[in-house]
Amino acid sequence: MHELSLAQSLLEQLLELAGKHQAARVTRVVVTLGPFSGIVQDSFAFGFNILKAERPATRDAVLDMETPDPEYICLECNKVALIPFPRQSERLDLARHGLAARKCPWCGSNRLSPQGGTELILNQVEME
Amino acid sequence: MCDTCGCQLHEHHHHDPKVVEVNQSLLAANVQQAMSNRQHIEKMGAVAINLISSPGSGKTTLLERTIEAMRDTVRIGVIEGDIETERDAERIRAKGVPAVQLTTGGACHLDAPLVHGGLHVLEHFAKGAGYDLIFIENVGNLVCPATFDLGEHIRVVLLSVPEGSDKPAKYPATFKGADLVLLTKVDLLPYFDFSMEEVRKEAGLLKPDLELMALSATSGEGFDAWLSFLDRRLNR
Repeated sequence: MHELSLAQSLLEQLLELAGKHQAARVTRVVVTLGPFSGIVQDSFAFGFNILKAERPATRDAVLDMETPDPEYICLECNKVALIPFPRQSERLDLARHGLAARKCPWCGSNRLSPQGGTELILNQVEME
Repeated sequence: MCDTCGCQLHEHHHHDPKVVEVNQSLLAANVQQAMSNRQHIEKMGAVAINLISSPGSGKTTLLERTIEAMRDTVRIGVIEGDIETERDAERIRAKGVPAVQLTTGGACHLDAPLVHGGLHVLEHFAKGAGYDLIFIENVGNLVCPATFDLGEHIRVVLLSVPEGSDKPAKYPATFKGADLVLLTKVDLLPYFDFSMEEVRKEAGLLKPDLELMALSATSGEGFDAWLSFLDRRLNR
């Protein structure tokens, strides 16, 4: 729901960076959206693409979003479990077949405690 | 033709493409303002609490009862966040403590710059007297406020009995970010299919050391534990 505010904040940072590096336009942006950040990639991209058009310096910026696989600690066996984050294209399949219960790949327990993953980071900017 | 690169577009000048590694938070501006809010609040001598919950889970009622219990010994100030209306601030003022109403005009959460403005108004209301305890009542929403640090010291998430005990599992980011979860309206437990055990289990998965309290502002049950929690956190 607040993806638009976040996209606005990113664009302000881009304009500031372009100014600082005396670049006329930003061509590519790489961000990391943590798997537990609560930010929906589609909505974020939607907001970014609307707002970027307001300024010539950001109009052609291509947004690359990366979301690392969510990490859990199993409270049963204390091992770290990495469970692949469903890609956007897999979401509908999940909706059709049901979200498989998350289980520890080592011991099968479902007592998984999410670790970190709330990061929202501007990694890299390409400009010219 | 462009002299620099030979392209046909006059206004189109190539510069060397530059790749900059930034590695800063997407919320850098908010994070910075939140840090400065925290310093501002500490300079006033106060501890700030950010109250987050769905609409209608009893944030304002909790504040009314808390103010009634503490106002004689603790200097309290309140920042109210809502999309529209001054109603919550009016309810708080009726209890005799300063309240600032922030209306977001549609935004689903408070952010640190908005609260910064609120703090200055609150300071003005105090006429130099200062505060011990500042409550920031966020916009009713169990999703978006989780992302925005306001400069608070303690984040309290409320969950009322009628909402259901499945909420921590459904809104993990908000409950994971809490320092304390308050189960409210527990006087309604006999009428709802609400499992305290489910809340404990799900919240425990998100944050094993998460503190949980249950209370009712109507019956007063559990209120003493909440008041002594606040009392322990004051800078006295």
